[in-house]
Amino acid sequence: MQFILGVFLFVVVAGLVDARIPWPKAKPGRKAS
Amino acid sequence: MIAGHFGFAAAVKSRARSAPLWMLMLASVWLDVVFVPLFIGKTETMQLVLGHHGYGAGIIHADYSHSVVGMLLLSLLLGLVSWPFWGGRNALVIGLVSVSHWVLDLIVHRPDMPVIPGQPAGWPHFGFGLWQYPLAAQGVELLLVLGGAALYWRAARNVSREAGKGPFWPALSAVLIAVFGLLVLWMDATS
Repeated sequence: MQFILGVFLFVVVAGLVDARIPWPKAKPGRKAS
Repeated sequence: MIAGHFGFAAAVKSRARSAPLWMLMLASVWLDVVFVPLFIGKTETMQLVLGHHGYGAGIIHADYSHSVVGMLLLSLLLGLVSWPFWGGRNALVIGLVSVSHWVLDLIVHRPDMPVIPGQPAGWPHFGFGLWQYPLAAQGVELLLVLGGAALYWRAARNVSREAGKGPFWPALSAVLIAVFGLLVLWMDATS
């Protein structure tokens, strides 16, 4: 149960809050960072 | 171990900045995501060590999701699926984060991770067994969560600063990662 809740919470955090940070965009074939 | 994997993913995000955090988080628990339906279907099982219960008390027979070969195939699959969306370099990072799950599990699991599913008798099972010392294992997870959140915060703050943005969202995101990580660790430790 805690696993499912944990995954859900982290995906929500990652999807909603992290998206507000201007990280460089990934494109196919482009290097990370 | 659950929270520690998320902490590691946050640390990776600080270096692989164009890889989506949610995908890194998912990759860090990908083997467990596969384990859940196999566990529900009783293909993979778990038994308690005699005289133990709660955090780290299980011997986990996850021969498909956590065997060396199963882990490599699942990680390869996740990397290949990621490639069209986020490029080859990020796909490699995502695949390696999936591999990192097995490496971190290697530290805490009792020797219960085989080379291949249904392997012959006498073949090795891997696991250093830090779960025999729950406080030490929880300490490792705590370091991963807090260290990962701190590295993430520093990178996010720098990226925001370079874009002329304020520190609010990086700080909020890092705090949420730390708080949720600690919550998951607490739930795991008191299960």
